[in-house]
Amino acid sequence: MDVFDGILLGFATATTFTNFAYCFAGVVLGTAVGVLPGLGPVATISMLLPFTFGLPVDTALIMLAGIFYGSQYGGSTTAILMNLPGEASSVVTTLDGHQMAMQGKAGRALAAAAIGSFFAGSIGTLFIVIAAPLLASLALTFGPAEYFSLIVLGLVTSMVLTSGSLLTALGMVLFGMLLGMVGTDVNSGAARYTFGTPHLYDGLDFVVIATGIFGLGDVLANLENEHTRKATIAKVSSLFPTREDWKRMVGPILRGTGLGVVLGVLPGAGVLLASFSAYALEKKVSKHPEQFGQGAIEGVAGPESANNAAAQTCFIPMLTLGLPGTATMALMIGAMIVQGVQPGPEILTQQPALFWGLIVSMWIGNVMLLFLNLPLVGVWARLISVPYHFLFPIICVFTVIGAYSISNSVFDIYLMALFGLLGYCFRKVGAEPAPLILALILGPMAEEYLRRALLLSHGDASVFVTSPLSLGTLIVAALLVASILLPQFRKVREEGLQEVD
Amino acid sequence: MNIRQDTILGTFFVVIGVTAFLMARQYSFGTTARMGPGYFPVIISALLALTGAAILLRGRIGQTAIVERGRLKPLAIVLASIVIFGLLVEGLGLPVSVFVLIVIAAMGSVKFSWNWRTAAAAAVFSAICGLLFVRLLGIPIPMFGTWLQAVGL
Repeated sequence: MDVFDGILLGFATATTFTNFAYCFAGVVLGTAVGVLPGLGPVATISMLLPFTFGLPVDTALIMLAGIFYGSQYGGSTTAILMNLPGEASSVVTTLDGHQMAMQGKAGRALAAAAIGSFFAGSIGTLFIVIAAPLLASLALTFGPAEYFSLIVLGLVTSMVLTSGSLLTALGMVLFGMLLGMVGTDVNSGAARYTFGTPHLYDGLDFVVIATGIFGLGDVLANLENEHTRKATIAKVSSLFPTREDWKRMVGPILRGTGLGVVLGVLPGAGVLLASFSAYALEKKVSKHPEQFGQGAIEGVAGPESANNAAAQTCFIPMLTLGLPGTATMALMIGAMIVQGVQPGPEILTQQPALFWGLIVSMWIGNVMLLFLNLPLVGVWARLISVPYHFLFPIICVFTVIGAYSISNSVFDIYLMALFGLLGYCFRKVGAEPAPLILALILGPMAEEYLRRALLLSHGDASVFVTSPLSLGTLIVAALLVASILLPQFRKVREEGLQEVD
Repeated sequence: MNIRQDTILGTFFVVIGVTAFLMARQYSFGTTARMGPGYFPVIISALLALTGAAILLRGRIGQTAIVERGRLKPLAIVLASIVIFGLLVEGLGLPVSVFVLIVIAAMGSVKFSWNWRTAAAAAVFSAICGLLFVRLLGIPIPMFGTWLQAVGL
């Protein structure tokens, strides 16, 4: 099937009434989640996952994807109007976006963010259309050794790009891999770490762990320091960028899109790196770097384009290799596996409707978001003022019902509470939990590919360095670790990632 | 007494790592060419224990952050509300358990105060949850649990 047929099939799938409606529901929810500080896409997607198990797999994924990229749009609204990042990736948007709002240019900042995001989102989906089939055909030649090395690269990247120390992140990755081993070993049938309870024979459900650590853990951490949110929400004036705004926006949007598209594909990199790099790049190429931080529209348009472009293209490794690059993508993979779809290079031939339908829905979703976010920005601004003490009991309700409904067992509720406590403790000791979730999904895959690679090579471990692709991947991973040990890069990383917390 | 972040995290990783290592030794290790169920767990748990030890060492020699003291009351209340929900849900059904969960969890916030409006909102929300999850989405949680049915409701 060529690309054109694929797109037609995608339109046919994405425009059925059900899929269209769920796409809309997803982007509305995503915007809401993005707007509300204290509730992120990872927590939301994990809470809502169990309720999508009854839906067809394409509908479920279309909605979950909508939540994810919708939150990228919503996050910028809160960043600009309230100087609070609704989403981690909107942190840099607060710098110039809120300054613009203080100068009475809130509407123009919002327009720059939404237009940039829309352009970047469209280019991002177009890039998936071109790159995903190429990568998938390349991936068909990958053996277990290549896959194992790619997993190592993904885990290393996620460690390097996490705030906090590398050693802490390594511990979180290893702990996540151990959690992934709980249950019956697929090859030998041996029960591992089940402590004799039949509840654990099927393993720890990743949804229980993710809702516990992110959904409940966030609630516990937020309640500890319950502070009054500043009620000052900037007024939204004219939404139309001036002619000069357009002139200043074009370059940053193009550069941000390019950067985001590339960084999104990197395993483990994600949207956060894209927005930070785009801001740094704009500041570097600008003729007026002193305006940055004082309300430069470039500092809004560039990063917002970059994070939305990355939010689209990070689906590429997930769909075509079956390897998630971020915690959100790990949840998506989990959702597909529960539904009996194994993502990987064969997805294009075996599930063409799912693949193309998802991509086309992402473009349609971006169109919806443009309209949802610009004319309706006043509605979202009112949502920001919903106080957290009304929000968190509702979050608790969703986490418990979600946990229970996975296998209709009260045991999962208690387990979720335990992981909520654990998630709270991790935050207290400065350990970022995102690599843990990634490792939870990638761990069992790593074991399986390692086993197969060594079986094929008769126990010869040199197979990982004799394949050029595997060797190259491992070298990149090693360089990443080495770079972080260099004082120069370390400083940049600490400064960049510190703001996220 | 001030506790360092690294001390807690390092100890946690060492304890988990060593325990997991000892347990993994019970599983068949296999050979490199034919990895048994114990092969990967042994390697990963050993690495985890070593990482934990390194974190402990770093806490000893370096200046690492101290754990900030937080209020433990909301933590205890919210966790308790969830466990209580678990105990009640099959006996009382979804709407009643949701209501109880909201009432208890809300006490974890210093800003939340109960009056007839918040109580009514919680009751309406519980009813909506029942309709949405049990009737519409068909999640197999009873609307009215076994205890309520026993008394003839």
